[in-house]
Amino acid sequence: MADTGNAVGKVDAAGRHELDGADEEKKQYIVVRIGGERYGMDISLVDNIVRMQKITRVPKAPYHYRGVINLRGEVVPVMSIRRKMGLEDDEFTHATRIIIAKMEEQGLVGMIVDSVNEVIALGESEIDRSVNDSKKSDHMFINGIGKNGDELISIFEINAIVDSIDTF
Amino acid sequence: MDVSQYLDIFIDETSEHIQELSDNIMALESEPDNKDTVNEIFRAAHSLKGMAGTMGFKRMQHLTHDMENVFQKVREDTVTVNSELIDILFDCLSAIEEYLDNVKNTSDEGTEDNQVLIDKLNRYLSGGAGAPAAAPAAAPAAGGGAAAAPAAGGDAAGGQEEYKHMKLDEDERLKAQEMIDGGTRVYGATVHIQKECLLKAARAFLVFKAVDDFGDILAYNPSNQDIEDEKFDLTFSILIALEGNADVEAMRSAITAVSEIEKVELGELSKDMLSKDAKPAEAAPAAEAPAAAPAPAAAPAPAAPAPAAPAEKKAAAPAAKKAAGGGKPANKPVTSRTVRVDIEKLDSLMNLVSELIIAKNSLASISSSEDGKYDSQGFHDQIEYLERVTTNLHESVMKVRMVPIESTVNKFPRMIRDLSRKLGKPMDLVMTGEETELDRTVVDQIGDPLQHLLRNSADHGIESPEDRKRAGKPEKGTIFLNAFQEGNNVIIQVGDDGGGINTEAVKNKAIERGVMSEEEAEMATQKEIIDLLFMPSFSMAKKITDISGRGVGLDVVKSNIEALGGDVEVKSTLGQGSTFIVRLPLTLAIIQALMVEVRDEKYAIALASIMTIENIAISDIKYVQAKEVIHLRGLVIPMIRLDELLDLPPKDEEPTSLTVVITKRGDKYAALVVDNLIGQQEIVIKSMGKVLENNKLISGATILGDGEVALILETNALM
Repeated sequence: MADTGNAVGKVDAAGRHELDGADEEKKQYIVVRIGGERYGMDISLVDNIVRMQKITRVPKAPYHYRGVINLRGEVVPVMSIRRKMGLEDDEFTHATRIIIAKMEEQGLVGMIVDSVNEVIALGESEIDRSVNDSKKSDHMFINGIGKNGDELISIFEINAIVDSIDTF
Repeated sequence: MDVSQYLDIFIDETSEHIQELSDNIMALESEPDNKDTVNEIFRAAHSLKGMAGTMGFKRMQHLTHDMENVFQKVREDTVTVNSELIDILFDCLSAIEEYLDNVKNTSDEGTEDNQVLIDKLNRYLSGGAGAPAAAPAAAPAAGGGAAAAPAAGGDAAGGQEEYKHMKLDEDERLKAQEMIDGGTRVYGATVHIQKECLLKAARAFLVFKAVDDFGDILAYNPSNQDIEDEKFDLTFSILIALEGNADVEAMRSAITAVSEIEKVELGELSKDMLSKDAKPAEAAPAAEAPAAAPAPAAAPAPAAPAPAAPAEKKAAAPAAKKAAGGGKPANKPVTSRTVRVDIEKLDSLMNLVSELIIAKNSLASISSSEDGKYDSQGFHDQIEYLERVTTNLHESVMKVRMVPIESTVNKFPRMIRDLSRKLGKPMDLVMTGEETELDRTVVDQIGDPLQHLLRNSADHGIESPEDRKRAGKPEKGTIFLNAFQEGNNVIIQVGDDGGGINTEAVKNKAIERGVMSEEEAEMATQKEIIDLLFMPSFSMAKKITDISGRGVGLDVVKSNIEALGGDVEVKSTLGQGSTFIVRLPLTLAIIQALMVEVRDEKYAIALASIMTIENIAISDIKYVQAKEVIHLRGLVIPMIRLDELLDLPPKDEEPTSLTVVITKRGDKYAALVVDNLIGQQEIVIKSMGKVLENNKLISGATILGDGEVALILETNALM
């Protein structure tokens, strides 16, 4: 399986990580790249990360669902975040990964990202939540902007990305 | 004694005994003098009583004890069996079933005493077996039924102040009572843990530790062991003997100080509340908010929540139910679904697994042979062996999931008996093939549709005795249920020797409802007319009875059966009866399928829906209303180009002939154009995941030998 997948697998299950001296509780985020931007995903929702593999197209499925994959004997739907956000279509490279999120309602759902970079821990004080005020549509999928040193990382609201079941 | 670990067995065995009793009581009615049957009944009732007693379900034990007394007398020939007694006994069985349902849902028997039934039994015993006694008895029985409802409501509210009806064994109860006599304050506490809590046992432990500073814990519910093993939902109750002048409020804060504790309900218990026959539900004033519940320690009221008067209790119960309903949606059953497996099936599974290990070892030894050269012949042999083993393994595992339909259909004789009495039409149910096996899931879900069909037969099918006599039929009607296996399907026929479907009446109704015009009705075949009965809200009942005729009828039956992958058809002869034929797939998870290719995508089509495969020359395609059809052996079949349907790009050039797969559903056909046939294959049906599940065109997915996912076409949607 993917190297990144292994690295992720070892993360503390609760997704919490105390740093020395920091008494604020920090949450861990997987940092992924889509286009030029870096996004963070709450690690507690991520079940697995797999390499790009053959996706079977599902006719009549919503456009942003690319199809289904075989994840160790289970059939898992895979969506394109790029299509969902209205960006250019995916271009598959050796760095492309599918993040498998485990949703309470929808079960396992795969999301294609350009690459998986690292895992970071952010405290609530390091995340700017004011983005919610903005009415810009592409902000709908983001619930905050994390500051990791000099870098800015948009934090995905995974629940907004994965459609709820009854929208179909 | 902690008996919770036996709960599953108790539930299983009790269901079996109830069924046995029901069967035998039915038999007893037809031959009241058969001593073997009476002995069987006696034994079953005795076991029921014993088990209920062991598990501490006193009400259930009480009722079964009185039933046993009756059977004892029947055995001694001191009372005679008549249909009144049979009715009472069936009512008792229903009551026991109710207890059992309560046990299943809450691991407690509930609070209904069924005193009315017990009185009836005793009255019968004391000689009041005559008809006069029956009339007054009927009235209280109705009252008893009504009373049962609010009581059940109170039970649903069991999440509130559970400590008031903790299950205590004799030692604990006596100890607590002694304590109270000795002037010690005994408090009950119910602790609610937050839903998100991950380490419930640890939280419970901290609570116990906190309580330790104030007094001793006398009893736990669930047991201490279960709490340690996290075998509890989100609440647990304890009984605390407070030390000297310990401050209750301080104890409350100590408990709530433990993190992830949602709330704690505390209240002092009086001796009465602990006594053996105190009704647990007695004090549960719903209005009392959990936080306000405990009286301040300074005021040592005899019993903080005053026992509510019966009238109040009734009013309070529904309110409590509402309150509880707000918090948690529904009571989850405390037991899991199980399948009883024949030991032989398990043995064969075990054998296959050992063969699998042998095959694996042989493969391993070939691959590690010294010279590094693989013996390709041996390798091949082993692969073949492995294939055989896995096929058998697969078959055996499927067999484990198969259960006889008996468990579902054996409640029907009783139902038909009840209906027969209610409708005043004598009738018999004849069943064959109860041993026919089906997948567990199917067996669980086929009960309702079958029950509906049987009710339909009893209500609409069988005529009144007078009509039957006039038609020269025996007065007693016959309803039958035959089950048998046919290829990969199981057929269940449900029918009657009644009047059959009056197609003229259906026609008139259809015209009256505007479903068909008169001309259409004139032209319609008999089958088309019968199919009308399966339309939503098309009820033929002249008046609505509580048995059938509400219009939620055959259409629901049909959709239920179709959801299981089956279908239903009707055969009816006016004056001679009608038969509903239900066809169900043997298993749900695995089907035989034809794999086809459209462009570079692979699809599976269920073999059961395929009639033939044909090669059609382009020149043979005809047009009807600008739609492509083919004319095949007298049938005009609409053609569906799968590439178009599946949004695939058209082919660069049209070939001179097309491969079409002709699918059939009932008497409807479709010709699916595919590029290539791959072959027949056994496939395992998998869900496509919840977000894509609602696809009308695709019923599921399967994983092919090379790990690729192929989709399964839902051909029924194409018709």
